[in-house]
Amino acid sequence: MITDFPTAPLDPPGPADREADLAALGGPAMIGREVRRTPFPVITKEDVLHMLLSLRQDPAKTVDAFAESYRDYVGAAFALPTASGTASLHMALVGAGVEPGDEVVVPAFTFIATAQAVVAAHAVPVFVDIDPRTYCMDPAAAAAAVTDRTRAVMPVHVHGLPADMPALRRLCDERGLALVEDASHAHSARIGDHTAGSIGDTAGQSLMADKNFPLGGEGGIAFFASAEAHARAVDYLARHGIDYRMAPIAAAFGASQLERLPYYDRVRARNAAVLGDALRQTGLFEPPHVPEGHVHAYNMYRIGLRPERIGLDDLPVHAVKQAVHELLVAEGVPAREWQNTPIPCHLPFRHRDGFGGGYPFSLNPGAVRDHRPEDFPNTLAMLESTLVLCRELRSPVEYERVLRYGEAFAKVAARPDAIRKLAAGGDCPPPHRRAARLG
Amino acid sequence: MEPFDTAVVLTRVMTSGTVMSIEKADRELPGLERLLARQCGRPHVSLVNSSTAAVHAAVAGQGLGHGDRVDATGLDEPTVAFLAWLGITAGDGPVPFDRVRLTPENAGRLRELAAEATAPALVVDLCDLGFGPAAAVVTADETAWARAERLKIFGAFDLRTMWTQEESNPGLVPGVQFNYRLSPLVAACIRVALNQARASRGGSPRASEATAASGAAR
Repeated sequence: MITDFPTAPLDPPGPADREADLAALGGPAMIGREVRRTPFPVITKEDVLHMLLSLRQDPAKTVDAFAESYRDYVGAAFALPTASGTASLHMALVGAGVEPGDEVVVPAFTFIATAQAVVAAHAVPVFVDIDPRTYCMDPAAAAAAVTDRTRAVMPVHVHGLPADMPALRRLCDERGLALVEDASHAHSARIGDHTAGSIGDTAGQSLMADKNFPLGGEGGIAFFASAEAHARAVDYLARHGIDYRMAPIAAAFGASQLERLPYYDRVRARNAAVLGDALRQTGLFEPPHVPEGHVHAYNMYRIGLRPERIGLDDLPVHAVKQAVHELLVAEGVPAREWQNTPIPCHLPFRHRDGFGGGYPFSLNPGAVRDHRPEDFPNTLAMLESTLVLCRELRSPVEYERVLRYGEAFAKVAARPDAIRKLAAGGDCPPPHRRAARLG
Repeated sequence: MEPFDTAVVLTRVMTSGTVMSIEKADRELPGLERLLARQCGRPHVSLVNSSTAAVHAAVAGQGLGHGDRVDATGLDEPTVAFLAWLGITAGDGPVPFDRVRLTPENAGRLRELAAEATAPALVVDLCDLGFGPAAAVVTADETAWARAERLKIFGAFDLRTMWTQEESNPGLVPGVQFNYRLSPLVAACIRVALNQARASRGGSPRASEATAASGAAR
């Protein structure tokens, strides 16, 4: 039987673990190879039973029931289940009234689907820089990018932290623009009492199985604040013969996962707090910034590096990052970059062939820019000075693992000599000089 | 497919813990790709999550895009509307693809149905098998397959780039990309259904593939 049940338990760390030599220098790894896998999503007997019961149901009813339950959870007025997050973003833009050739302001740092959904809507993405602390769209940069042809602003709740929606709402209201949320990382994230997905005029959200709230494979959902916006999206699909239907198997899986989402949210928040406390003790590492009143969903956990605090400020920060990355991976911490260059520097937006022949970019040549990474200094600075944990904070059985992650960061931060040797000795181009990666 | 078999295959995949298409450990999508390649007699298969995604992948695979014309004879109204949305209009042009719509009744005849296809791409519509929206583009042309895969965000090429940190095919530049990825749970059900349909017609699928539990011990 192929199963994802763990093959061995993971013990809490003890004093000897931190005192040991770095794994990269021959010491024992903080997390041994045999216990490194983080199972995700957590699939329970409830999921299996619910899936089997759904086989007796009309497939359309399975999808509709799921969409209605989740719409109610989010607090949005209308919902449209889709085959993917990209499809949901496309429908959110269409529902918001985006037309061919319109400009949509998007952040330069996001997953590529944000910008590709704009192209799918036959519109043109206009990229702006991020806020250096939240890594979400900078409202001032968005305001500066608005033109007479701008129809919508689409912030992304990056990694699960809601963007500055009050400021963006003011901008949109002043300029007569639609506010479209990309809530793909932000299941259960909130500003005050408002859940991500219910704050903008419309929203799109990925529900793929790699997200905090997973369906059984691929899926997404679009939310709409008005019946008109919802109808616009539904009519669009019918008129253009597009099949964006959600698979009932995926929906059935999501229905039972939804019942456990609040439990998982609490475990993830606890894990993030435990790790944050540990990182603050290290000097070198810094946990994510969360503005007052915002609830971060921690779909990903981006960790900042402050080399100056341990006497490494004479080295390029990206070199320190690369060295630290290598040392952490050797300890069994699956840290990663998650993106290495701004989205406008990825091949589809450098070449801009779109649907062919440059469409829809050809509809609005004035909106098109040949961007260099340096056009987005906050994005570049973030990419050069941060590392990411992805699914590693999620599993409710992983408290011991989070403790060990904290110990691993402490172990690495305590060895500036080893970091310096690696950073000074290796070939280390800035992240954006390497091939653009989606994740 | 019998409800019991559907239940077994879904339980098997959920027990494996791998329900995402982007997982290296996934065995369901490659398994269905191999099956369709064998039955259709063409070596390259791109799986997608809807019939319109397959139409898109089929035309994109042949380098057809906005501003091009195709022979739309015999295509239904929604497909013509979808092609128009892609910017492809009906007129003098190539026959873009053949299409086979599989149902529980004709699924055992896929080999024969595919043999009748003459266009460079064969769209195999799997939606009516009862497991939700699903389809495939099958072709003998490796470049057409590669273009179809590039259409998918986190398709084969994006995944290779992520895993190796090197662009795997810089010469094949993607334009617009969609998430057309098929879910492994859906693929697993379709694979067993196709194998059982073939077996019930006296075909000879590999013995292990005709059962809902196939793959459980690998």
